[in-house]
Amino acid sequence: MLSSSIELYQQLSDAVLEMEEAQTVILAEDIVKHGLDAFEAIDRGLVQGMMRAGELFEQEEYFIPELLLCSDAMYAGLAILKPHLKTEQMRKKSRVVIGVVEGDTHDIGKNLVKIMLETSGFEVLDLGRDIPPKAFADEAALAGAQVIALSTLMTTTMDGMAEVIRYLTDGKIRDRHQVIVGGGPVSLGFAQRIGANGYAPNASEAVKLTKRLTGDSAICKQIK
Amino acid sequence: MKPLERLAAYNQGKSIDRLPCVPIIGNTAARVTGVKVSELRGNGRLLAAAQIAAYRLFGYDNIRVFTDLYVQAEAMGAKVRCPLDETAYLESPAISDVASIDTIHPIDPRKAGSLPQHLKAMAQVLDAVGSEVPVTGAITAPFTNASFLIGAENLVRLTIRNPDAVHRLCAISLETSLEYADIMIAMGCTPSLTDPMSSSTVISPKKFREFSFPYLKRLIGFIHDRGKSVTLHICGKTHPIWELMADTGADCLSIDNEASLLAAKEKVGRRVRLMGNVPPSEVMLQGAPGDVRAAVRKCVAEAWDSPKGYVVASGCSLATETPFANINAMLGAVRELGYPVAASELDQGSL
Repeated sequence: MLSSSIELYQQLSDAVLEMEEAQTVILAEDIVKHGLDAFEAIDRGLVQGMMRAGELFEQEEYFIPELLLCSDAMYAGLAILKPHLKTEQMRKKSRVVIGVVEGDTHDIGKNLVKIMLETSGFEVLDLGRDIPPKAFADEAALAGAQVIALSTLMTTTMDGMAEVIRYLTDGKIRDRHQVIVGGGPVSLGFAQRIGANGYAPNASEAVKLTKRLTGDSAICKQIK
Repeated sequence: MKPLERLAAYNQGKSIDRLPCVPIIGNTAARVTGVKVSELRGNGRLLAAAQIAAYRLFGYDNIRVFTDLYVQAEAMGAKVRCPLDETAYLESPAISDVASIDTIHPIDPRKAGSLPQHLKAMAQVLDAVGSEVPVTGAITAPFTNASFLIGAENLVRLTIRNPDAVHRLCAISLETSLEYADIMIAMGCTPSLTDPMSSSTVISPKKFREFSFPYLKRLIGFIHDRGKSVTLHICGKTHPIWELMADTGADCLSIDNEASLLAAKEKVGRRVRLMGNVPPSEVMLQGAPGDVRAAVRKCVAEAWDSPKGYVVASGCSLATETPFANINAMLGAVRELGYPVAASELDQGSL
């Protein structure tokens, strides 16, 4: 690999980390113009930068505003680079359906989990907020998603999580999806009680949990 | 002892029967009088009746007239959805972009949204039991209210991209808060501040200092000038901002169960009273009375000797369906410990 390309990937990573959306776009366009490998640029540049942002978030150096702006930069870069991926690089990814359960419109937490899952190589189908139980099950079946990720910030809507699991069980499709839960009032005890496959207290733990549940070693390798 | 007697004696270092105790009751009050949650919001009479009945049933030390965080933002143009029998939630913010900030104005709490009914409820609660228990009215603090005006994600992005826009939204929110606090105090009610978006789970301490602190300080200064003390509640993690929270002038900090009461005591216990932090979801909503008792004893062990005093409380507002047995268990556990609390009474393991 050319040293200049490595340098560009590093600059891309830095631009994401520094929340420089405009700079990220310029660099991504540069990479396309020079015919450099889009996959490498995404992996070593954009994703790498977002991973570093995630680490700063874990260390309480970055907070939600910073993480959101890093992700804005990452997605802006992705929009430019993705069309230039070669087909053999579009490998099959594990799919996750994510959403905020019905009756709740708090979605920052869910959005962070989505960002970090996408950064880690999962394909995430975001249903949004205020989502009825049936929609989770139906969309997951339609998408062939291995994982259904449920979020709520309100105690009033926690029962909606149990409802999703009941719906899957009643439809005899419970074993097709791993259901993970998270959000302010949710605890490991609650997750176990409603029969979820896992609980994560924050976005980075949600990524580790999802990797563990999907056994996706390819993904683990990609981030390292 | 009646709550006001107990608090006065506690403040003066005189003998009291037990520590003050506040399970932070919101819409659980509807379950006490058997009305629907949605009936409380726009009906001062029903809201007052529910809060009075809940206080009489459980015998806690502070009544807070509160239905949800969105009443001020709603009065300023945000859309709120009110399910028949659950807590209201934000459907959409008042505006979606910075260009529309000029369309938002401070409002008159005597006229706008459900604020007049909340004020009416405060007046009726004061009238009925104000001579024996402190009556407080919930105010959503400026930064959090600003997030309901333009949307939470929008607002936090703007803290980096357009700080001036954030300040404008906070300033408009502050004006409404000052007006609302002013009316409350004139009738004898004490404002109580809630500011979840200022949590270190959401924004950095630096951003807290820049965007939340100045407005909290002005609001609290105003309330102090009018002769009332102030409790400030911030949800989630707050350990990096405890000193700043104390610097706002707040008299009491309400600590979420995501934070350590013991660490808070060590850091700011000499400056402010503390309250908290029995877990509202895991223990109060989903636990059994035995779990509540254990959690109360752990909190008391951590903070009962905090220099500026301690109030046993839930870490955040209680969920509507919190079992009455658990609320009773909370008060029961505090009564059982009495005051002063004997070290031998507390489980050694949790000390």
